[in-house]
Amino acid sequence: MQPHLKRVIILLVIALIAFIFIRSLIVPDSFGQYGWYRGESVIDNRNLQVGYAGSSSCGEENCHKTIYSIWVGSRHKAVNCEICHGPSNDHVNNVRIMPEPANESREYCGLCHFERAARPANFPQIDPETHGENLRCAYCHNPHKPWFV
Amino acid sequence: MTEGLIWGFVYPNEVEIQWSVLIVLYPYITGLVAGAFIASSLYHVFGKEEIRPVARFALLTALSFLLVATMPLLTHLGHPERGIEIMFTPHLTSAMSGFGYIYSFYLVIVAVEIWLSFREDIVKMALNSSGWRELLYSGLALFSYDISEKALHEDEKIAKKLAIIGIPSAAFLHGYVGFIFGGIKANPWWSTPLMPIIFLMSAIVSGIALLILLYIASMKLRKHPIDHKCLESLAHYLWVFLILDVALELLEIVSMKYESLEEIDIINRLLSEKIAFTFYGVQLTLGILIPFVLLLVIGLLKNRDTLKMILISISSVCVLIGVFAMRWNVVIGGQEISKSLSGTLTYVPVFFHPEGVLPALVIMTLPFIILLVVTYILPPWKDMEEETTQMGSILKKKS
Amino acid sequence: MKISRREFAKTGFRVIIGAAVSSTIIESIVTNSIAAEVSPGGGYDWKEHLWGYVVDTRKCIGCGRCANACKLENHVPFDEPVYRTWVERYRVLKDGEVKIDSPNGSINGFEDDIPAEEIKKAFYVPKICNHCEIAPCVQVCPVGATYETEDGVVLVDYDYCIGCRYCIQGCPYGARYFNTEKRTADKCTWCYHRITKGLLPACVQACPVGARIFGDLKDPESEVNKILDKERINVLKPDLGTKPKVYYVGLDREVR
Repeated sequence: MQPHLKRVIILLVIALIAFIFIRSLIVPDSFGQYGWYRGESVIDNRNLQVGYAGSSSCGEENCHKTIYSIWVGSRHKAVNCEICHGPSNDHVNNVRIMPEPANESREYCGLCHFERAARPANFPQIDPETHGENLRCAYCHNPHKPWFV
Repeated sequence: MTEGLIWGFVYPNEVEIQWSVLIVLYPYITGLVAGAFIASSLYHVFGKEEIRPVARFALLTALSFLLVATMPLLTHLGHPERGIEIMFTPHLTSAMSGFGYIYSFYLVIVAVEIWLSFREDIVKMALNSSGWRELLYSGLALFSYDISEKALHEDEKIAKKLAIIGIPSAAFLHGYVGFIFGGIKANPWWSTPLMPIIFLMSAIVSGIALLILLYIASMKLRKHPIDHKCLESLAHYLWVFLILDVALELLEIVSMKYESLEEIDIINRLLSEKIAFTFYGVQLTLGILIPFVLLLVIGLLKNRDTLKMILISISSVCVLIGVFAMRWNVVIGGQEISKSLSGTLTYVPVFFHPEGVLPALVIMTLPFIILLVVTYILPPWKDMEEETTQMGSILKKKS
Repeated sequence: MKISRREFAKTGFRVIIGAAVSSTIIESIVTNSIAAEVSPGGGYDWKEHLWGYVVDTRKCIGCGRCANACKLENHVPFDEPVYRTWVERYRVLKDGEVKIDSPNGSINGFEDDIPAEEIKKAFYVPKICNHCEIAPCVQVCPVGATYETEDGVVLVDYDYCIGCRYCIQGCPYGARYFNTEKRTADKCTWCYHRITKGLLPACVQACPVGARIFGDLKDPESEVNKILDKERINVLKPDLGTKPKVYYVGLDREVR
């Protein structure tokens, strides 16, 4: 083979070796641990911060046990605390951090209870035009234990 | 603001169009590369002597466009600095993962092919120059100056083999770009096995058209007579591939309409409202029908070289615009229909934006600048000039 | 420079052999030895679970609390039109027209903007990533930045994603979006950080009517399995062969 062709091949081989070497430095160690992805990423995804603590942590002794026990026996028991009171995991870990105040507007209750054509007919709905004279719902209804105050 | 641009129902996450004009540019550029390379192989592999005047120039054109082919992609990535992962950990089930390797392989083929076909010139220039030019050309010659008959013969043999490898590589480089779209089952406008071959045919067409225009332009710039035989031969190939191209493009539409699957309503709406002008008007009429007729006329004309040249140039411009429209209709058109099949969106190109028209224009002018530099360093016409000046001096002596 | 057919074939043959040999060599170099599949640990064994999700469209009231909770739990850019889960409203009018919408992914609820007497039938359909068994998004990711875990959840590696958005194009359900803060693709994780700690996904916990049910398909006593055993269920776009793990009860033919 001609020397100039040898030089081309040598250059290409050097490039290939350099590539393989650089690759071995840069590809994360955990890549391919479980499959064609970075194994560490599973841990990363698992370690993300929890925002919603769940209602049971509200009902702990010395916390909101009374209101919790009222709510847990009510028709709103499927409506978890944090739906109205906002994500509160930080508050559970540190009581000084207060969650957002609950949204008490008519419209917020209306998200579920204003009459809508697409809602299942048996779900409790009111006509916002005629029902309640634009008062806040909580004026008559206890959100923690509907139907009566 | 986006509300007026949406008709019907689109999934909430679809409101933003993800692949912008830069992604239109990417298949356009790789198409030009593949086309130019295949045009040069007509001479290098299939021995079409009439193409010879542009054969080396075609290789340089392919290289110039190949060097910028990655740019629209990298500019578009959310994390360009991680782009190299596509070579480090290519996920082989992805049509896109091959890009790094196919691209690099092809770049090496084109570079070595160019080097071999210019080596004699490079060595001569290295020996006949001084200073930084000597250094540049010696470097390019890899400090090996053997241009004996035997060495050049071996070069030629290897160059031919590389060109043979180059054709399927070029076809693969671009066919697989078609598969990137054709393999997406979520999108009925993209998902067709014809996509790679349609992309390939339009690539060849656009590459030949570009070569014709660049050849005419450089001859005019250098005030050098045009080889009309070469030009007409290129025009002939342009015509042939144009027929294949239009046959496939129409086949796709016809079978889609004939089979009339679930998605036909939204496809019809796309074709009649969203991309009617760019599809029927630009892609099919301006890009295929007009050049097809013009090239047909050229075949009938006799001894009207200047007129023919003008008609060929017009056809080539039409083809280049038409193929761009084809890329646009695929990339943008496919995103203008919702995957819910119940609504459409509108892409509005922005000018000053990292993924807007301005960077697209910059990227599109780069290959021409690179080509200018490359042809300055490696003049592809050198041998012709010597021939003609010799001929000129002989003629002078005779008179 | 003409070449004979023989020469062409010979070269072609050499190329194929060469490519095959070199690809095996490269393959052996680039593939990290895949260790025997073990769980990432931390008191949770992903081999013991296979998560599944049931949506009962008959129960949904379109309050959008799920979509709201999801955005807050997962720090999804709140004011951008990107959603990990959302609720769609379908209204089939008496003249036969089908109106579909999902204003702000249902986060602000729905307004009745068509008179009830014009509507033949109407219903809500919650949507979420289907965590497909054969996920097109995983298939098309060019670098391995999205993957399916052993317990059946499709996740994104935010430190590895190059942001090419091919997965967004590849998802037939519109479940993926581009996160402009991370500059990567993003999607529902079924709250992987919660379910691996024994909590429910935020959307499931937020649903006041039990339209969203989450559980372990490997546990025969789980609520999802009870529903799958009893109800007539369907999945979205079954013809695409993605094998979704979000199962729908009461799915209408109009639902896309």
